Amino acid sequence: MPAILEARDLVKRYRLGAGDVEALRGVSLSVERGEFVAFMGPSGSGKSTLLHLLGGLDRPTSGEVILDGAAISSLSDDAATRLRREQTGFVFQFFNLVPLLSVRENVALPFMIAGQDPNRGEAAERIGDAIAAVDLAGKERNRPDQLSAGEQQRVAIARALVHRPALVLADEPTGNLDFTTGTDVLESLWRSCTQRGQTIVLVTHDAKAAAYADRVFFLRDGLVRDEIVLGRRDEHGAAPLIARLAQLGL
Amino acid sequence: MGAIHSLARRTLFARRARTILTILGIGLGIGVLVAAVVTNASLDAAAASTVRERLGNADVRISALEERGLSPASVAAAAAAPGVAIAAPQLEARTYPRLSATGGGAALPDPVTVIGVDPVVDPKVHARPLSAGSGLPADRADVALVSEALARDDGLVVGETITLEGAADAKPAVLTVTGIVAATGGPDPAGRNVVVPLATAQALFQPGDAGGRVSRVDVVAADGADPSAVEEALVAALALEPYSLTTPAEAEADLVASTSGLRGIIALVVVVVLFGAAFLVFNTLAMSVAERVREVGLLRAAGMTRRQVRLLVLFQAVHLGVGGAIVGLVLGIGLATGVTVLLGGAVPAAAGSPVLPPLEIALALLVGLAVTAAAALEPAFLAASIPPVEALRLQADLAGGRPVRLRWLLAVLVLVGAVGLLLIPVPATAAGYLAPLAVYGILVVAALAIPFVLGPLGRLAGLLVAPFLPLEERLTRGALVRDRSRAALTVGALVVAVAMISALGGVAASTRAAADAWLTEVVPGNEVLVAVHPVALDDPVLDELRAVDGVARVSPIGRFAIAAGGYRLDTVAISGADFAADGRLRFVAGDPATALAALDAGGAAILSRGRADALGLDLGGTLTATAAEGPVDLAVAGIVDRSVPGESGEAVLVGWPDASRLGALGADLFAVRYAAGAEATARPALDDVAVLYALQPADLGDIRGAVGTSLERMFDLLDMLAVVALLVAALGIANTLTMNVLERVREIGVLRAAGLTRRQVWRMVVVEATILALVGAAVGAVAGVAAAGTMVAAGGGTAPSFDPGWLTLGMAVAGSVALATLAAVYPARVAGRIEIVRAVSYE
Repeated sequence: MPAILEARDLVKRYRLGAGDVEALRGVSLSVERGEFVAFMGPSGSGKSTLLHLLGGLDRPTSGEVILDGAAISSLSDDAATRLRREQTGFVFQFFNLVPLLSVRENVALPFMIAGQDPNRGEAAERIGDAIAAVDLAGKERNRPDQLSAGEQQRVAIARALVHRPALVLADEPTGNLDFTTGTDVLESLWRSCTQRGQTIVLVTHDAKAAAYADRVFFLRDGLVRDEIVLGRRDEHGAAPLIARLAQLGL
Repeated sequence: MGAIHSLARRTLFARRARTILTILGIGLGIGVLVAAVVTNASLDAAAASTVRERLGNADVRISALEERGLSPASVAAAAAAPGVAIAAPQLEARTYPRLSATGGGAALPDPVTVIGVDPVVDPKVHARPLSAGSGLPADRADVALVSEALARDDGLVVGETITLEGAADAKPAVLTVTGIVAATGGPDPAGRNVVVPLATAQALFQPGDAGGRVSRVDVVAADGADPSAVEEALVAALALEPYSLTTPAEAEADLVASTSGLRGIIALVVVVVLFGAAFLVFNTLAMSVAERVREVGLLRAAGMTRRQVRLLVLFQAVHLGVGGAIVGLVLGIGLATGVTVLLGGAVPAAAGSPVLPPLEIALALLVGLAVTAAAALEPAFLAASIPPVEALRLQADLAGGRPVRLRWLLAVLVLVGAVGLLLIPVPATAAGYLAPLAVYGILVVAALAIPFVLGPLGRLAGLLVAPFLPLEERLTRGALVRDRSRAALTVGALVVAVAMISALGGVAASTRAAADAWLTEVVPGNEVLVAVHPVALDDPVLDELRAVDGVARVSPIGRFAIAAGGYRLDTVAISGADFAADGRLRFVAGDPATALAALDAGGAAILSRGRADALGLDLGGTLTATAAEGPVDLAVAGIVDRSVPGESGEAVLVGWPDASRLGALGADLFAVRYAAGAEATARPALDDVAVLYALQPADLGDIRGAVGTSLERMFDLLDMLAVVALLVAALGIANTLTMNVLERVREIGVLRAAGLTRRQVWRMVVVEATILALVGAAVGAVAGVAAAGTMVAAGGGTAPSFDPGWLTLGMAVAGSVALATLAAVYPARVAGRIEIVRAVSYE
């Protein structure tokens, strides 16, 4: 399968006080269309930084990110924003819903931003489908503060998936959720990958979440230290991944 | 204490731009307050200096009420009254310095005011400091002192001659200038004063039988004499002609009172600006608390007491206040200088340089600091009330809720209202406070109504924007109701500023409309010829003017004063027949033809509605005037909507037969009505004749323009102050929007991550400002019209119909929306620059 996402020798340095901190020190990888990959690693390993660079939220100090054939890291801010709008969807740890918009409006945001009428035609249909897919039908008019944490994260997933982006990037989406709710969220991501062919890139600390992935990249000190290929499986037990991590002494 | 102080200072330094904006806002507030204090002091000083220059060291001034003046017998009686040491008579008259006109449309020179004095007695009462030459010699009649303004205008130096025109049958006087008077406080409005020997003035202006009379006598009490006893002695001694007695204190009070309307409006502007500045302080400190909630929680967890947290916020306020006071002091003095210069041209009693009263300025600075501290109290208590555990959690609710904010708002309203009350000149009666209180009440109600109308009006305003920027409008709509109280406070500042400008515009337009209405409804002609001194009705000029081809009517109008019921009443003599023929005056009681015929017959008067109400007279009632030859009864033959404006209220209209009995010397102006279609050809011919007889032609349009220019000058000044209020409001909007942006960092980050471009973020913030401004401007415009209506109604009701001043209103609305939109540029830039990665990780 062709690669939808490619990282080429990514370096990211931050200025911290008088000196620089290298969050990424030359990361190269490629993700194929329809693949589910996970980044794992200890805190400060650079996994979230990598996700932000891959999604075009931030720019690398050097190196390149190629998203669907376009070098997103070299585009102007407006062009990168448009590419991000059309090709990606984000899910964050802290839900990050717009508090003053209803559930439906939050989900409809990608269409609204693109200037499409969310109440008509295909957009309206997709919004309805996305809300139903995350089991929130009937709560369209609620505001985020009227939802539980799990429901809020499901709204965030619906928003990330509603415009059918080729790439969905999720940063610790289960980090703030209990086991059952977290599993529901992961199932939603899994379904979008298997049923709609969307590519999922997941950042997580949790081996149970990473176990949904086809491949797991393990990062440490700003570098990819290992790549674990789990393959596509319907059963997502974490035991094989944990065993493999143990074998590698991680 | 030192650590808390240092922390407070560092917090302000960390947010330099916002700190500077706030200091600027407070500085503007304090600056306007200082400017008001300095302006008030300058007005007082100008009044005192004017009185000193006019009255010298006189204890009492006796002024003739009748135009023909006080007789020599009255002057002698005054001089002989017990306790009188010096009685210095003066004759004042207006004339032209020389008539170069020989026909052919030559223009008249600028007039001068001649003051005839006794060269021996006058120096004992009036100092008249000289910048060149010497005083009037006692033994010469052909000498004059000229003011510096006149010497400068006409290029006069000591030793040169000045020729003064006199009454029609008097010869011009050729006088040698012996000195230049340095003082500026003479009676001439343009400062063109000429002091001549009394006998010379009397020969010029009172040839023949009427000689020997004077306009006034300045009396100095003997050493040790009680001035009030001297006043009583004068009352007993003077019985021949109507007169009025004025002490220096009364003269000063009159001059000060003539500026009370201006002071009242300045006070109101000060209140509005302080109000806006208080919003600004509140928002800044509340923002600081909201941003640092977690830090406050940590400090509390580490052992900082509630009192120390309160101190932390209050120290910040003190820093802001002191910074604002320094800016305000500089700004205020600059503003006051501008105000004094502008006032010099608009208010005769206000000419002079700015006076800086140290105590009052210190008080103004203290008031500014007090308002800053009051505005800081709510955020200080809010910060102190944050429980450490709550603060350390995510997104602690700091909104505080509407009731708290509104309570705070009320407290600030009361404080700035009290400042306003201190600044407003004390009215004659408690009822005088009603109008300013009513206007303040309107502003308060408008500001307090905002939290309740912001939602619906914001949606309405959004409808204007939605067709063009639907996404930005939708995202903004949410932001407006995010913190309704804060948005309301900000819009409140804009509301009062727009209301103030609209109200001033309304008052200006209505005043102008009243002046226009007088010209179009009262003056029976297309043109007015102004005489520099009264022209007798049997003067040949009247026949000459009437003989000009194309002139249909020339109607003499005389202005003078009468004494009736213990009051001085402005009075105007008119020809009833002319007014009837021209269809002038709008009668509200009495038959126009009968009433105007009664004037010509004598023994009758026509009153304006306002004057009739004030005197308690109805149609058929009798107004008894005191004249030199005895009481004159005038039956009220008619009541009109509007009569001729006088110095203090609308004039009583009488016929010419009564005018001469009441002491009028002649006509001061002539209203000329041209035959239909003849004006273009007749006017040049008439103007030629007029100039020959020293009559100044004035087109009604010119008069209207002159009235308008004078009004505009005054209102330009007030608008300047009101614009400061608008600037403070704009700073408030910038502050609030910045706070909104800072509170929405994460939300904006999410929107950016989801594909919102920087430009769209920028537009979202600007749209928010525009909607806020539209709501504020709409409410402000309504409040402004209501306030203007109240001020016009309180001004004596001379306006024919209320004119809201649509142009100013439109400009205020458009200007405030534009300014608020401009104010959004900074927060919009802040929003556009938010880094997505940091924003979405922002807790």
